[in-house]
Amino acid sequence: MNSLAPRWRTSLIWAWTAAVVIFMYLPGLCLLLASMTSSRYFIFPITKWGFAWWEKTFASLEIHQLFQTSLLIAFCVTVIAVTIALFGALAFARYDWKGRSIYQKIVLLPIFFPQSVLGLSLLLWFNALGLTMSWQTAVFAHLVWIVPVCTLVISIQVYSFDPALEEAAFDLGATKWQVFREVTLPVLFPGIFSGALFAFLLSWGNFPLSLYTTGADTTIPEYLYAKMVAGYTPGVPVLGTVSTVGAAGLLLVGYAIIVMLRRRRAASDQSEV
Amino acid sequence: MNSRSPILQLRKLTKTFGSFTAVKEINLDITEGEFFTIVGPSGSGKTTLLRMLTGMESATSGDILLRGARINDLPANKRPTCMVFQSLALFPHRTVGQNIEFSLKIKNVAPDVRKARALQLMAQLRLPQDYYGKSVTKCSGGERQRVALARALAYDPDILFFDEPLSAIDYKLRKTLEKELKDIHRETGKTFIYITHSLEEAMVMSDRIGVMRAGQLVQVGSPQQIYSAPETKFVSEFIGDVNVMAVTAKGSSIVHAAEFGVDIASPAVPAGFTAGHLVVRPESLRFIENRSGAENCLEGRLYNEYVLGSRIQYQVRVHDHVFIVEKLRQQAFAGQRDDNVLIGWDAKDSILVTD
Repeated sequence: MNSLAPRWRTSLIWAWTAAVVIFMYLPGLCLLLASMTSSRYFIFPITKWGFAWWEKTFASLEIHQLFQTSLLIAFCVTVIAVTIALFGALAFARYDWKGRSIYQKIVLLPIFFPQSVLGLSLLLWFNALGLTMSWQTAVFAHLVWIVPVCTLVISIQVYSFDPALEEAAFDLGATKWQVFREVTLPVLFPGIFSGALFAFLLSWGNFPLSLYTTGADTTIPEYLYAKMVAGYTPGVPVLGTVSTVGAAGLLLVGYAIIVMLRRRRAASDQSEV
Repeated sequence: MNSRSPILQLRKLTKTFGSFTAVKEINLDITEGEFFTIVGPSGSGKTTLLRMLTGMESATSGDILLRGARINDLPANKRPTCMVFQSLALFPHRTVGQNIEFSLKIKNVAPDVRKARALQLMAQLRLPQDYYGKSVTKCSGGERQRVALARALAYDPDILFFDEPLSAIDYKLRKTLEKELKDIHRETGKTFIYITHSLEEAMVMSDRIGVMRAGQLVQVGSPQQIYSAPETKFVSEFIGDVNVMAVTAKGSSIVHAAEFGVDIASPAVPAGFTAGHLVVRPESLRFIENRSGAENCLEGRLYNEYVLGSRIQYQVRVHDHVFIVEKLRQQAFAGQRDDNVLIGWDAKDSILVTD
């Protein structure tokens, strides 16, 4: 059928797709170009190409510290958010209970809070409670926004879950815990994994919540902002590129892990015969 | 083992949801090794009844006795019974083998013993042995049915329950699987309790059938009894196309059909029967040349005909009442649409039922 479509129609679809892709990825490309200069200032077109700023950035202890803080926060957020969101999603999509409709709306509302306002209000609360701002308070702040997102992502998987699977396992002699471990968890795993990726990446790239709540600790997005406001060096686009590529890399690694697990499962199935 | 002893006894079993009574005071004895089918339209409470028997729903009142012991409070995972679900509920992340072995894995049976048992069940259910490592999501509808049955049999239950597992299967395959299931019942000798909304399906497989209506068992009997001696209009109509006439008692074997203004020769009118319905099956009605051709006769107009493969049905309208006459294809009726025809039947071919 497709081959019968007029040639110009196919060409138009390709042109449109290319335009959208360029629109989305050109800024990222500019970031990469801006990092590959040997001069001190940000000038287009680039006159002197070089990787001097890449070397400086990777050698900097300060940058290492930033990575550690950002990773630590994102890791804690992921673990806590997925745990809360999994059970939240089961309540959201699996069980029918009085008040579920209201719960569904309330739990998603924080996604739409303006994050800078949310950050400020959390800062005021932490102060009122006498807490010192640090990466731990940032974890809490991120959770307020990321748990709802994560709940929504996992809920999508839970909606397609047939409750009869749990009943069947229970009927076949499994305890409630065995049902959860052998059936519920593995069947929901793809959703849980995407929820975890979402949580990690949203925390990794978050700026407005971190700005108010990290205190003396600094995350990569905060550092980038501070440096752009005052003291720009081509180290900024270097770090920006590394951070972006790192996030993209994580997505690919995550995908690769899923593919690998599937292959291994298929292989072990075959060897059992 | 005494094959006559009841394995499952229900005593005034009742389930209410708020003010709604889904299952009402059901009394029933099921014999060891029996294939018992509960049949009823949707909303008749058959699924709720089954869920109480499996332990997935608690009974509001009454008793469920398994070999004489009350099991009301035993959860589903502690009951020696197992169910084949309507959706089959095969574990999508597991292979055919892993699905079948699930209950054995839960019981910590050694892997090689589990596998031997699974392969044995697969052979019994005519699943190819190399399906052991196949993902269940890649199996066809009929294969999935067999995997679900094998998984339930691996649990070695005293009673197997079936919740309309064949309802989503196309007609031809369903007919094959119905017969296979009856063969499996024979081979295993286990007690099967099956629910369906299709009495046709129930007839093919069952030793006994219980018809449910609005939470109550309205008639229990062999397929023969249900077919030839329905006690109520509901049961008679549930079997398929029937001709039903409202009648009142007039003599020892005469009833009056006010709708047609005629007296009708009927089977012996039971004591206490004042008003009810007379049921005549389509195959018991026939076209006749003149009024002496049958004990009872009505004049109507041939309205339409339906070819059902080996049989043909004719719709005959008597006033506004529609009658269905069924004949074998070889004995097709030569009448044309809108012809005036005489239809007749004998008293012995009709059944008197109450509402």
